[in-house]
Amino acid sequence: MEKNLEKTLDDINNTEGIIGCILADHAGLCLGAKGNASTDSAGIIAAIADQVTKLEPKSPPPVISLQNDSRKCLIQRQGAVVGAIYKDISM
Amino acid sequence: MGCCYSFCKEDSGPQSGEVNERTHLLVDPVSNNTNIPRVHSDDYVNQYASSAPKKTDEQSALNRILHETAANVIDVGALDSHNLEQHEYMDRSRAYSKRIEAGGIKVPDSTSCLLKDVPAPEKILATEPLSAGDHELITKMLNKAVTALEDVNVEHKEDLVVPFLS
Repeated sequence: MEKNLEKTLDDINNTEGIIGCILADHAGLCLGAKGNASTDSAGIIAAIADQVTKLEPKSPPPVISLQNDSRKCLIQRQGAVVGAIYKDISM
Repeated sequence: MGCCYSFCKEDSGPQSGEVNERTHLLVDPVSNNTNIPRVHSDDYVNQYASSAPKKTDEQSALNRILHETAANVIDVGALDSHNLEQHEYMDRSRAYSKRIEAGGIKVPDSTSCLLKDVPAPEKILATEPLSAGDHELITKMLNKAVTALEDVNVEHKEDLVVPFLS
């Protein structure tokens, strides 16, 4: 059933440099989260993706990169799924 | 003298109705037509004189409008437009802070603002765009996730309707 979804999240989370990942549905409800990612942030991530898409509605879904000195957060919507990956860039 | 006399005579001539050798053969249309006002040149002057104040009134009204408009318009281009030097900014900022302190006005903290001013925006704007690796990473994850989500369906394991009394 949701094994494939879990596996996808595990695969990503086990990649080097990645400290967490989260998936949300079209309404911002959490589909799954692994590593250092809070399930509470699912709604916010979906909202960010939606708002940024409004900047250029005719363009393909944008990849949003939020970054500070030590970490980076990548967000993208694809169809009904919104995903976010947290990366450690301090190394 | 005779000429003068004859003219004097002429004036009274048609009025008296006598027909003599000095009577005009053709009637003078101007003198006979009393409907046409015989305006003296002085009258024209008077007419213009009476309309002249009107004209100046209009002129002064226009001038007044012009002055009022000029008073209400702020010509930014004509203002003192010299660029403030860095130290002038500092001086002014210090002066204003002192005034605020002296007045005892409390400036509300803007900590509730999510977005903050950044000191050197060009540094942030000139950062590298998203790397191809990162783009690939998130796109792949989402492709997999979308495919995985399509596989999610209800698995039939046991009957939903269960007999209570057996």
